[in-house]
Amino acid sequence: MATEPIVDNQDFNQRQIKRIFYRRMGIVVWVSFFTAAVQSMLFFAMFDPAYLGQLSSFEFNVSQWQGYAIGFVFFWVFTFSAALFSGVVMALPRTKLAKRTNTN
Amino acid sequence: MSNQETKPVELSLYKAHEKIYPREVKGRFQFKRKLAVLVLLGLFYFLPWITWEGQQAILFDLPHRRFHLFGLTLWPQDFIFLALMLIIAAFALFFFTALAGRLWCGFACPQTVWTEVFIWMEQLTEGNRNKRMKLDKAPWTTEKFLRKFSKQFLWITFALWTGLTFVGFFTPVKELTIQIWQWNLGPWEMFWLFFYSFATYGNAGFLREQVCLYMCPYARFQSAMFDKETLIISYDKQRGEPRMRGKTRREADSPGDCIDCTLCVQVCPTGIDIRDGLQYECIACAACIDACDEVMEKSGMPKGLIKYTTENALEGKPTHILRPRTIIYFIILMTLVASFGVALVSRSSIDMNVIHDRNSFYRIVNANTIENVYTLKVMNKGSSRTQYQVTATGIDGLNIVLGMNETSITADPGQLVTVPIKIQANKKLANKKIHTIKVNVVAKSTNGTNNNDSASEKVKYFGYDK
Repeated sequence: MATEPIVDNQDFNQRQIKRIFYRRMGIVVWVSFFTAAVQSMLFFAMFDPAYLGQLSSFEFNVSQWQGYAIGFVFFWVFTFSAALFSGVVMALPRTKLAKRTNTN
Repeated sequence: MSNQETKPVELSLYKAHEKIYPREVKGRFQFKRKLAVLVLLGLFYFLPWITWEGQQAILFDLPHRRFHLFGLTLWPQDFIFLALMLIIAAFALFFFTALAGRLWCGFACPQTVWTEVFIWMEQLTEGNRNKRMKLDKAPWTTEKFLRKFSKQFLWITFALWTGLTFVGFFTPVKELTIQIWQWNLGPWEMFWLFFYSFATYGNAGFLREQVCLYMCPYARFQSAMFDKETLIISYDKQRGEPRMRGKTRREADSPGDCIDCTLCVQVCPTGIDIRDGLQYECIACAACIDACDEVMEKSGMPKGLIKYTTENALEGKPTHILRPRTIIYFIILMTLVASFGVALVSRSSIDMNVIHDRNSFYRIVNANTIENVYTLKVMNKGSSRTQYQVTATGIDGLNIVLGMNETSITADPGQLVTVPIKIQANKKLANKKIHTIKVNVVAKSTNGTNNNDSASEKVKYFGYDK
């Protein structure tokens, strides 16, 4: 059972459309934040960021705290991109398939 | 068949948020919830201040990559314990959810616990539900300002204290307090203190039930652990309906027990009507049970119109606590707990690793003796500087030459020492192609205390088979 695209078929006003956008953006930010936090916890439980910095192929000396922070931001950038991408492609284009209701 | 009736509507998901003013309620479940708040928050605020053997009892020392837990020091090599603990926590959640529904949400979740405290502060400064609603609608007066100001003051102070305690789990809390007093906090402590304070303030003061409704993943999948025998909070429809009040009620022939006072709706922290049936918004805080019980008592009807029950019980079928779902969860949970306990008790404070030299099988030392060369890695997972003695067993008369003819290895806490070792054997005794020998590392007592920690590893020994 396909649901109809929300924005065009439910007579939302501009304010409501904005609200929907912010709420979806909120979901993307929150989900990516949460996964990035778990990811960095598991990753840094196994790898010492200061040591990783020494192993890097260019000059990159970080303390543990800086390493954790940079690692977290690094993970968040990628989880955010993944969540945002999912969010964008989740919204179906208005094709015949998306418009189809139960009767036809 | 009308098309209109079956058309799915997503509108309700996007309605504007309406502020919920939960009404205060007293009762046996609310008493238990307050107890849970006291115990859990008490633990949270108290634990960092305990000292154990001259050191903060619980300290997650991230910069030095070690956790102190009541005299036990855990290193990154002990990652298995963290992983096991998380798995145990997950299965405990599954087990209790299958057994008694959302116990976690109603009683133990930090979101609920801190929200409780913040609501209590709100009541203290702004009064009960009606007063709060009136106050929010009223124009700004000195009284409104004072009430709002004192609420914010309490909230912010409490949130900052929470932030300080949180950072205190990661940085020695006593030094931290001094640093705050002198205002020379490090950038990380500063950031986390304010970040966690802000998160507490925002989540418990403003977002509240929205965290449960929109952000929490557990709320979305908890129903997968439910079955018809799980304890839920439910309204007894057969007894309560038809609900009516006032004049209609007095004139009706056989009214239901529900007097439609809507108290159950007013006390609900997530703003739902439990009489509509089980909803995913319900965090099982049991406030509606307490409210309804009080009303039933006052109107001279038996309690339990809203109560903890199961779907089967509502249909008049028997309820089983023991059933495949709970038994399986319980067995898995107990196996995990047992293995965690065994692993923790038998945990060695030595981590070792022996690797055979890749270049040669054996070397001839003299007419009677051959030797195999290895790289030995020893890590001291204990909390004090320790000397280690290395021995080998498996072939008679094995002799170990450590590094540059040292007699023992010394390692500081958390230090990983790598030494080349040569293990010498008699040519005639080590006459098979491959022997298996055991390399033992034993901690020598340095400061009088005798810790018998040891570790061993089996390795291959290439013999002289010509």
